[in-house]
Amino acid sequence: MNQTIAVPLEIKQAGPAQLGIKWSDGHESVYGCYELRLKCRCANCVDEWNGAAKINRELVPQDVHPITIESVGRYGLKISWSDGHNTGIYAYQSLRNYQN
Amino acid sequence: MIQESDVLSALKKVQDPDLKIDIVTLKFIKNLSIKGGEVSFDVELTTPACPVKEKLKEESHQAVRQIPGVTKVNVNMTSNVKARGNMSAGAVLPGVKNVIAVASGKGGVGKSTVAANLALALLKTGATVGLLDADVYGPSIPVMFGINHQPEIGADQKIIPSESQGLKLMSMGFISNDDSPVIWRGPMVHGILQQFLTRVNWGVLDYLVMDLPPGTGDAQLTLTQSAPISGAVIVTTPQEVSLVDARKGLKMFQKVNVPVLGIVENMSYFMCPDCNKRHNIFRSGGGRKTADDLGVLLLGEVPIDPEVAESGDAGVPIVMRNENSPAAKAYQNIAGAVAAQLSVVNMRNAGIQSDFKMTWNTVPENS
Repeated sequence: MNQTIAVPLEIKQAGPAQLGIKWSDGHESVYGCYELRLKCRCANCVDEWNGAAKINRELVPQDVHPITIESVGRYGLKISWSDGHNTGIYAYQSLRNYQN
Repeated sequence: MIQESDVLSALKKVQDPDLKIDIVTLKFIKNLSIKGGEVSFDVELTTPACPVKEKLKEESHQAVRQIPGVTKVNVNMTSNVKARGNMSAGAVLPGVKNVIAVASGKGGVGKSTVAANLALALLKTGATVGLLDADVYGPSIPVMFGINHQPEIGADQKIIPSESQGLKLMSMGFISNDDSPVIWRGPMVHGILQQFLTRVNWGVLDYLVMDLPPGTGDAQLTLTQSAPISGAVIVTTPQEVSLVDARKGLKMFQKVNVPVLGIVENMSYFMCPDCNKRHNIFRSGGGRKTADDLGVLLLGEVPIDPEVAESGDAGVPIVMRNENSPAAKAYQNIAGAVAAQLSVVNMRNAGIQSDFKMTWNTVPENS
């Protein structure tokens, strides 16, 4: 039941448009900011009932980047993006599982 | 001549049964002094509620006594509650070392009674403890502690929690009055809970017990997102209708990565004072089976006892009113088990601070 999920040990800017996370299981992830923005799972970006994508990719600038990154409880991160979007929570478990 | 290293290597044979590490490696040994054949030291545990305190004391004593040349051993048991690895220094519950959420999937299982008595049982071990009634719609703590006045505001504009026998208390019921219902939508509940987390002057607490409303809704989500919860205790009664919901509560905490410390089975059985037989009013073994199925600990079984309800209604919970009653004893054991499990999860704790925040640097680095 209490299997431990990987949690971030360190979160840093890995490049001008890359977010780097060092995980407690030893893995190191590097995410492209633009790709991460498109992965937002919030109700404005993904339909809550049928899971269909609602995000309008054309409105997301290629050079989108986080303004701030904050922890949410013990399970995720909230990113406020430069395009004004800030309603998504990136759960550690999903973040850790993204291929990068 | 007895060397410090002799004493430490002898004490290395004494193991903490919960952490499964010897007490020297755990750095529990403090103030070691050797005067001729007399050896004195402190064993500093991670909680005053340690259920194996006496056992560790005895084993430490024995281990050192066996060193040739030792004539007298003085073991002094102390404690220093460790903060969760990610204790916040910021606005949310500063000074609170551990937050314990007491939850249930459904109402009516005695969650508030368990929360109140767990808090008091922890307090009685010598820990500093607070109790936050987060059940905004149905606060029970005011009745259970016989408090019905509004809390005062301190010079720092923070709310001063009420106190009963040294236990710090905060409840929605202190603010609203008895008879007027709180009819609020989610955002208002969110707002008041945020106030409880940031605007109450709790001071330094070893444990803050949080009595959650039943279910898996708005309030639970707010608290798991905003409060740095160290671990959760799930309260259930033995029958299946209750266990189904207990499993849901458990899985909610799993989803938000809050460690479940274990299950408390309340109203577990009734010891008949006339025939001295145990009656399983709401069936038996359900809590144990659920705990086993989901791989968590059964922290304890609390018997049905009319005195529990009586004392709760009278404003003096059973742990305070009759500490030798079977129910009070069950609560004392549960407090020990909770404290021990917290020490285990805190030891494992890793990761970023609960109030982590970073600002993206948009100026390109020229190096």
